[in-house]
Amino acid sequence: MKTIHITRYLPESSEIPFVQQFDIPADDSTSVLDALNYIKEELDPSLSFRWSCRMAICGSCGLMVNGKPKLGCKTFLRDYQENITLQPLAHLPVERDLIVDMDVFLTHLEAVKPYLISDDSLSTEPNKQTPTQMAKYQQFSDCINCGLCYSACPQFGLNPEFLGPAAITLAHRYNLDSRDHGKAQRMPLLNTEEGAWSCTFVGFCSEVCPKKVDPAAAVNQSKVESAKDMIIQLFKGNL
Amino acid sequence: MNDRTTENMTIKPKKNHRSSEPVWWALFSAGGVCFAVFIPTAILFFGFLQPLGLIDFSYSQAHNWFFGFWGLMFSGAFIILPGFHAAHRIRHGLHDLKVQRHGLIKVICYGLAGLISLLTLGIWFTGIIS
Repeated sequence: MKTIHITRYLPESSEIPFVQQFDIPADDSTSVLDALNYIKEELDPSLSFRWSCRMAICGSCGLMVNGKPKLGCKTFLRDYQENITLQPLAHLPVERDLIVDMDVFLTHLEAVKPYLISDDSLSTEPNKQTPTQMAKYQQFSDCINCGLCYSACPQFGLNPEFLGPAAITLAHRYNLDSRDHGKAQRMPLLNTEEGAWSCTFVGFCSEVCPKKVDPAAAVNQSKVESAKDMIIQLFKGNL
Repeated sequence: MNDRTTENMTIKPKKNHRSSEPVWWALFSAGGVCFAVFIPTAILFFGFLQPLGLIDFSYSQAHNWFFGFWGLMFSGAFIILPGFHAAHRIRHGLHDLKVQRHGLIKVICYGLAGLISLLTLGIWFTGIIS
């Protein structure tokens, strides 16, 4: 048996969140998500949380486990001693129990134009790419948009207008793609204070990333790109 | 609960102003290298080897050495660039501590680093021409 403390928030009954304790039968294969499903099915059907794939692909089940952003499906009770505390993801508004409002995160992702921008919209030719060209960005394309890096980022916590780790990583991923021609459209946003420059290289985003995307590396490579862009525009006389 | 609502977290459409941060970041990076590579040698030299009498480096030797080309290099690598590095850290540290007056802090931090730099270069230049 393991004891789990869950921060509950039920806006229709109370404006104040409260902590509820549950005792869960657990073996070596019990994940935090399994525990939540056990609570919902056997103990308290009113508990709300998001989940879907249970195999670290959908990115829905992000939550704070003992204060650290984790995916519920990829975190196992066997790795924790007696007490386990579950809270909704930090830095995002809570809607209900473990469900947070991801709107600001999605707006930031959308803002960086995370798609291939062609220089010739009429072309019907397929894009070709060598394995070496693909290797340049592949690591940064593994993001599953779980939002754990936003919960980990103290700068996003201080200023939610900061584009944040995942969005900058995605911008960098497309900027590095040989098939893409949209870098000039993405740089103005990355060049701002709320773009790459709000990052102070804390690095916790890369530590919590469940897919080892290393957003901190992408953000800091974007800083180099932004600095290069500044020098180029300076020489072109555009500054 | 969380004091932020969805409404005030949406991004206001605004003009993309280029940040001046690349300039400060470049000085910070250069200063970081100096802090890591040169400052420990200065501590070793002036803090240990010289007081312990393991090396002989007189005031007149130092004076002659400083007021030349290498003195200018020393000023940059041991005083000016580390100064801007420290200023950058203090500025971002204060931001992390939620001090709100960002503009004022920026002026004070980099202003102090700039002042120290000018003073250093001033002393070096006065020594050169005298």
